[in-house]
Amino acid sequence: MKILVVEDDKTTGPYVAAGLREEGHTVDLLANGREGLVQAAAADYDVLVLDRMLPDLDGLSLIKTLRGAGNRTPAIMLTAVSGVNDRIEGLEAGADDYLVKPFAFGELSARVAALARRPGLQQQETRLCVGDLEMDLVQHKVTRAGQEIPLLPREFTLLEHLLRRKGRVQTRTMLLEAVWDITFDPQTNVVETHISRLRAKVDRPFDNELIETVRGAGYRIAVA
Amino acid sequence: MRQSLWLSLLFLLTSALSLGITYYVAKSAQQSAIEESLIQDMAGFQATPSASALAVLVRAQTSESDPKKRLLSYRLPNGRVIAGNSAVTQQEAGFRLVVLGPEPTPVQGPFLLLSRHIHGGLMTVAESADPLEKLQETFLRVFLFSLLPAIAIAVLGGVLLARRSARRLTELEQVLARLTTGDLTARASTPVGATDDLNRISTSVNRMAEAQENSMMALKQVSADIAHDLKSPIQRVSVHAERLQAIPGLPAEAKEIAAKTLAETKGIDQTFQSLLQIAQIEGGSPAARFQTVDLADTARTIAEIYEPAAEEEGRRLQLDLPEGPVFVRGDKTLIGQLLANLLENALRHTPRGSDIHLSLLGGRQPQLILRDHGSGIPQKEQVNVLRRLYRLERSRSTPGSGLGLSLVQAIADLHRADLTLRTVEPGLEVQVSFPKADV
Repeated sequence: MKILVVEDDKTTGPYVAAGLREEGHTVDLLANGREGLVQAAAADYDVLVLDRMLPDLDGLSLIKTLRGAGNRTPAIMLTAVSGVNDRIEGLEAGADDYLVKPFAFGELSARVAALARRPGLQQQETRLCVGDLEMDLVQHKVTRAGQEIPLLPREFTLLEHLLRRKGRVQTRTMLLEAVWDITFDPQTNVVETHISRLRAKVDRPFDNELIETVRGAGYRIAVA
Repeated sequence: MRQSLWLSLLFLLTSALSLGITYYVAKSAQQSAIEESLIQDMAGFQATPSASALAVLVRAQTSESDPKKRLLSYRLPNGRVIAGNSAVTQQEAGFRLVVLGPEPTPVQGPFLLLSRHIHGGLMTVAESADPLEKLQETFLRVFLFSLLPAIAIAVLGGVLLARRSARRLTELEQVLARLTTGDLTARASTPVGATDDLNRISTSVNRMAEAQENSMMALKQVSADIAHDLKSPIQRVSVHAERLQAIPGLPAEAKEIAAKTLAETKGIDQTFQSLLQIAQIEGGSPAARFQTVDLADTARTIAEIYEPAAEEEGRRLQLDLPEGPVFVRGDKTLIGQLLANLLENALRHTPRGSDIHLSLLGGRQPQLILRDHGSGIPQKEQVNVLRRLYRLERSRSTPGSGLGLSLVQAIADLHRADLTLRTVEPGLEVQVSFPKADV
């Protein structure tokens, strides 16, 4: 993927750029809002990573201007400002995702990947499969190795979310947002407890584990 | 409205009174003028040397006088009128004037009359009081054609003014309501040129709102600046720790130190985050984005999130929610956070295996009640636990920033909800009582 990172912090910027390059992406790093706007408008990027506070032109104005000009490149906003309405302001300005500092690189990487492959005009699927696991979206039924697994509604949603994004890491905060619509950060590791419950039903009675833990990042269902 | 009617009535009374006084004064003046002229006439008659001379004078004047306006009579003691155009007769009711002529007729209209005995006869002069009548008529006309319309205008104007004042008061009330709910951009209208009390109040309200908006903006800017200046280094520390962790062949001990460093930065961030959030909430700005929130749905979701965590500790998280929705005006995320903080507190500060009970009472004043079965909070500490960064002695060893309940308090205040803590045997009961729903 081709990614533009606009971040003026001399430690964070290069670190993010280096990390994304290590994952195989092509990364351009800029430290100035105005230059960032010119570059984002001129070249064709897959994802934009924008800091909110930038010299010359702040991230909010940058994304607003870009969207005003019809540019729809998925953008994630990095920010130190994380008040009650700041997230909403960021999304209203046109950002697709919002990540509060300090963040772990794994979180950013997972969100960048999610943005690039947003399930947009995807075909309506009726069943999702991985290995011997099958999810019937019409009848709301999950079977593994021909055996039906009874799931609570929210467990079903959680599994569906992971299945639809198989092979891609979903961080705890991403799962909280997507499955429970929670945008604050609980201090107890609640996602872990839900995952372990799901595992007890989906993985434990069987030979191999489908739900993987990605250290320091989140969870993922392997491609096969 | 009522005030303006009272004012109109007062205006009417004073106008009528002043007109009445003017009329009375004018009438007295006119009357004394007539009396004066009668006295002077009489003095002229008295100056005559003899009865015959008087008779000549009276006859001369009679021929010049219009009997409708001026009557004269000189009568001898035997009752015979020897000169004049009228006769005065004495009757039971008093004197009576009769106009003499081809056919004697009683006098029409009011007359002022003066009689004196001169040279043995009775001399009488009378003058018509018609001008007095005319004066009364004139004043009545003045009253009808000038005062009545003036009163009508006053009443109408008063009513219109009152209506306008009422409208502006309503507008001012609405502006104040918007300001108190956090919309600091609300302003009262101040019509150009208006200098009444309402306009002055509106101007003051606007000035106050502007000052508040400015300080709110300043607070926001300061928060943003602090956030940026502190969070950037925290971000850098976590970047360094992450890079350290990633070095291949790093000893396990070093890896652990890096992991601890990361955990600490997260802790610093959370405390900092909570402080900023409390400041923002207390500034009131999130209230501007209030929406209708279903408390039952929010409580169900939050309980569901924590349910497995509770179960892992051998607890039961019991829910007692109404079937249908319970609506309040508020911020869904913040109400969720309030519930999450209360649940986390309960999970953290009560023994494993003890139950937690979350209930919601619907109705006009919805109430969220969370009850645990721990050791409660000592009576004298109940105020302290709502203070920022305060922690009970026995809780120092458990994780947490000491900001959880302060945040709960701030969120409750923002929603005008009452937060009460009560030690029940055994355990703590936290009540969040929302205000009466407006809708």
